[in-house]
Amino acid sequence: MRRRASGPFQLQADGSFRVNLPPDVRELLVHLFGELRDVLTQGNTSDPALRRLFPVAYHDDAERDAEYQDLMRSELVASRLTAISRVTEAIGGGDRLEPGDMDLLLQSLNAVRLLLGTMLNVSEADETESGTDDPDDPVAAQAHLYSYLGWLLEAAVGAAIAAVPDGGNPPKLR
Amino acid sequence: MPSTREELDLDQSLDTTTDSPWVVIVWNDPINLMSYVTLVLRKVFGYSLEKATQLMLDVHHKGRAVVSSGPRERAELDVYRLHEHGLWATMQKDGNDK
Repeated sequence: MRRRASGPFQLQADGSFRVNLPPDVRELLVHLFGELRDVLTQGNTSDPALRRLFPVAYHDDAERDAEYQDLMRSELVASRLTAISRVTEAIGGGDRLEPGDMDLLLQSLNAVRLLLGTMLNVSEADETESGTDDPDDPVAAQAHLYSYLGWLLEAAVGAAIAAVPDGGNPPKLR
Repeated sequence: MPSTREELDLDQSLDTTTDSPWVVIVWNDPINLMSYVTLVLRKVFGYSLEKATQLMLDVHHKGRAVVSSGPRERAELDVYRLHEHGLWATMQKDGNDK
């Protein structure tokens, strides 16, 4: 794992995070979060392309899974939209992430990667792939974006880990 | 026709089956970062770094790992929290190994 003395996100003494991202990267993220929001609000959440955002809950019981999805799917969409809204505002408009916002950023960044990785049909064997370098190849461009988002997410995880005590902590997210 | 007492016993037997523990499973997938999975397990369940790392490695090497267990409602909540974070999580009755 890469460790960085400084990076895109730095834990502050008050538990918040300083965001060190250039304007073009902020614009890119705001754009990607907007696309994710469009997919969630305009797309069909049963679309196979979205299967990683909405996995089955009961893998051996289709009837119970249908009941679960009836109850929880809309809640999961609403939760993702709330996260997107907050991180779009934070990344697009400031240099500071509240502790709770970092978790929402992690979720949203990861959701974009899940969508992109599903589109690219990423498999275990692709861990080191970098695609072609043809700038006109849309798949290569998506592969580079996927790699970049992986780096950014790794950096965010590294910053967030610094805020979690080593001995574990009581569940905070319930 | 069964007696009322027998029906009651049958109902209790069914209830016992329904209340048997459920397990929450996280499955390996090629997209989620190992460090991210570890962090999510720590934050959602409050696990230590050591425990969360071991579970993540089990997922990575064995294809899946049981990350929590309990009543059905609790397992559903755990699955929901893991789905919110983008992990590939499912649940099943303990012992229903498919």
